[in-house]
Amino acid sequence: MIEVQGITKSFGTTLALDDVSFRIDKGEILGFLGPNGAGKSTTMKIITTFLAPDAGTVKVDGIDVLEQPLAVRGRIGYLPENVPLYPDMNVEEYLSFVGQARGLDGARLKERLDWCVEACGLVTEFKKPIGDLSKGYKQRTGLAQALIHDPDILILDEPTSGLDPLQILGIRELIKSLAGQKTIIFSTHILQEVGPVTDRVVIINEGGIIADGHLDELARDAMGDDRVILAVRNAPGSVEEALRGVPGVTAVKVLASPGLDSTGTSRFEIRGPFDQDLIGQLDRLCKEHGWELTELREAMFSLEDTFIELTRRSLGHGRKEVA
Amino acid sequence: MRNVMTVFKREYAAYFNSPIAYIFIIAFLVLNSGLFMTGFFLNGTADLRAFFGNLPFFLIFFIPAVSMRLWAEDKRTGTFELLMTLPMPARDVMLGKYLAALAFYLVALAGTLPLVIMVAVLGNPDMGAIWSGYIGSILLGALYLGIGTFTSGLTRDQISAVILGIMACFLVFILGVGGVAATIDGWLPGLGSFLQNYVGLSGHYDMMLRGVVALGDLAYFLGLTALFLTLNTLWLEGRKY
Repeated sequence: MIEVQGITKSFGTTLALDDVSFRIDKGEILGFLGPNGAGKSTTMKIITTFLAPDAGTVKVDGIDVLEQPLAVRGRIGYLPENVPLYPDMNVEEYLSFVGQARGLDGARLKERLDWCVEACGLVTEFKKPIGDLSKGYKQRTGLAQALIHDPDILILDEPTSGLDPLQILGIRELIKSLAGQKTIIFSTHILQEVGPVTDRVVIINEGGIIADGHLDELARDAMGDDRVILAVRNAPGSVEEALRGVPGVTAVKVLASPGLDSTGTSRFEIRGPFDQDLIGQLDRLCKEHGWELTELREAMFSLEDTFIELTRRSLGHGRKEVA
Repeated sequence: MRNVMTVFKREYAAYFNSPIAYIFIIAFLVLNSGLFMTGFFLNGTADLRAFFGNLPFFLIFFIPAVSMRLWAEDKRTGTFELLMTLPMPARDVMLGKYLAALAFYLVALAGTLPLVIMVAVLGNPDMGAIWSGYIGSILLGALYLGIGTFTSGLTRDQISAVILGIMACFLVFILGVGGVAATIDGWLPGLGSFLQNYVGLSGHYDMMLRGVVALGDLAYFLGLTALFLTLNTLWLEGRKY
């Protein structure tokens, strides 16, 4: 559906994007992650034909953005980071304007207006001047604008920025409700926002893609090896030794020992390769020794850990100065 | 055409959605009529020559102020990104905006029609010269607006846009002045007269004040206006590289 191939873009002497490639299939939702200034917006501006890449190609629905920009624009609904609103118009006038500019009129325009206003929760604000709306409603008006022509593709640049938790939840629900019907790229620098909406992410840092995949794969990749948390109560001092003896275990870290923990629990973090079924082995070990097992689980990296680890690894591979 | 109309409607409404439009029109009428009426009874002739004669200089300041927001405002607020990702060519957006500004100017200019009635009642004016004067004023405004639209596209700051516009309009105005052309000819023979004929507006505009609407003068105004509008479009399209 969208294919980004080796795009590079510099502004003056700053290389904003360096050989960025990724693809999204029809109906997928892609979380586009990265710190501020990483190149998220620039990438989106190139996909939406607002900017042209210095090198590389972008194809939307098989159409090259440089060759037929108008055809690409017609397929995309775009919410720029800086929400493009006319404060002197009211919501209805504004959405009608965008709808007409995108080729809608008559009954079809009316139908889409009704749908967008309903879906974006703007019913009560329909006749209010945009300049008088709260930040949350402005953001929703921007989103409604991107949806007005019922596009197959949605490009949303920081759609939840500046909203309160309840409003964020609303936007999230809206994006999720469009899943399957539409191909969506949404960017954010807030990691927690991605998980609830999609598990497909692309992480960009300093103009380069540092990760592309599903959240759990990326977390595994970032962790390097499997980590299991094991806690046993009233166990003998030989537990640690026994754990080290389990095949495949490369490291055992004591997180808590009975002396420190009033419940008499010992907790360990055990590391080993992913293909060794550590959990199963540890479970059997506890049963053999008759230890009182209170906790046995995989310690997955959170998105934050993943992000920090991947960003750390990519250091030095990111943005370079152009000569 | 549909695209142009859509943008036109939005931009035209934008003028009248703010009180600035009314202040502009009132200032335009008061200053112009005021200037005209000051000399009117002294001259004692029932025509609008003096009114039309003031316009080229007066509009140097008025027109860029009308056109300054056309692009600069969109660039500042972010709506520029919306406009440039609509499925229509940049040329259509540009024309919609330009024509809206032109329509606004025509509304202001229409406010001077009572002057025509006044001179018609007070004397026996040459109506042909008055109508050709209006044609000239429309073309003059159209040209200045073309320049102003172009300069508005160069910046995201309206103040810069208006100053650049005033300078550019002034240049077109001053190049048509005989003394200036002669001075330039002194530096580089032929250049001054060339600029006076092809860039300077006085010669072309003055013919219309006298009641002559010649093809060459029409071509001058329309051609130069089209040139600036084309430059504006090229700038918009080149911007993304």
